[in-house]
Amino acid sequence: MNGAVPTTIIVAGLVLAGYALLMTALNRRMSVILLAALGVLEILLLVEVGLIVAKLAGGERPAGLATLIGYLIAMPLVPVAAAFWGLMERSRWGPAVIAVAGLVAAVLMVRLHQIWPVIHV
Amino acid sequence: MSEPVASPEPTASHPDSTRTGPGRVLIAIYALFALSASARAGVQIATKFSDAPVAYLLSAFAAMVYVLATVTFAIGSPTARRIAVLSCSVELAGVLAVGTWSLADPASFPDATVWSGYGSGYGFVPLVLPVFGLLWLRRWTGRARTRRTIVPSAGDAGEAAADGHRRAGTDRMSG
Repeated sequence: MNGAVPTTIIVAGLVLAGYALLMTALNRRMSVILLAALGVLEILLLVEVGLIVAKLAGGERPAGLATLIGYLIAMPLVPVAAAFWGLMERSRWGPAVIAVAGLVAAVLMVRLHQIWPVIHV
Repeated sequence: MSEPVASPEPTASHPDSTRTGPGRVLIAIYALFALSASARAGVQIATKFSDAPVAYLLSAFAAMVYVLATVTFAIGSPTARRIAVLSCSVELAGVLAVGTWSLADPASFPDATVWSGYGSGYGFVPLVLPVFGLLWLRRWTGRARTRRTIVPSAGDAGEAAADGHRRAGTDRMSG
C-alpha cells in the first residue's frame, strides 16, 4: 500500500498544529484559514479511509480488525469535532483545540501502521 | 476574523466555566482519552481478557476515570468541579502507582495499559494531563474563597472584588 497519503496527513497535521499553536501564542481567535486547513485534513483522512476500506474489500484482514474499524469510524470525526468545539470558543484557546486535532491526526497514522503494518507511513 | 483579542468574551450564561478558555483544550484531550481508552479496554476485555487480566482491568478503570473527568469538566457546576478534582487526583495517583508498578514488576503486565511506564506509550500525556487539570481547577478554589468574603463584610468587598477581577485577567493570560 502506497504510503503517500498517510505521510501527507502526518506532515499536514503537524504543520496545522504548528500554525494553530502560533495563533494561540499570538492571542488570535479561530480563523477562516484554520477552518480551511481542517477541511483539507478532513479530505485527506477520508481518502485514507477509502484506501483502507478498498483493501479490506479486497479480502485482506489485519489481526485487530475490530480496532481498525474503530479507527476508520473515529478518524474522520476528529477534524469535525475539533471545528465544532474550536468555533464555540471565542478566544485564543479555539486555535489550541485545532492544534490538538492536527497532532491527533499525525499520531493516528502511526497507530494505523501499528495495527496493520501493510499501511505504510 | 483573526484580529488579536485582549481577553476572551465571557458568555452570559456561564461567565467563567471550566469548559471555556484553556478548559476547552483540556476537555478535547480528555474526551479523546476517554473515547480511545474505553474502546481499547472494551476490545481487550471482550477478545483476550485472560492474556493480561490485571492490565485490562486497569485500562478499563483508567477509561472510567477519563470519562468522569471529561463529563465533570464539561458540566462545570460546583459539584462537578469537586468530582473533577477527585477524578484528576485519582488519575495522577493511578498513573504514578501503575507507572512504578509496571517498571518494578513487568511480569504483571504482559500487555501495556494507558498508565504503564507513566504513560510513555501515549507521549506521557496521561502523566501531564491530571496536573494541568488540577491547576485549571485551582482557579475556582480561590474564586470561591473570594466570593465568601464579599458577603459578610462590605469593607472587604471592594478589595476582594478587585482581587477577583485581577485574578480573572492574569489567569486567563497565563492559563
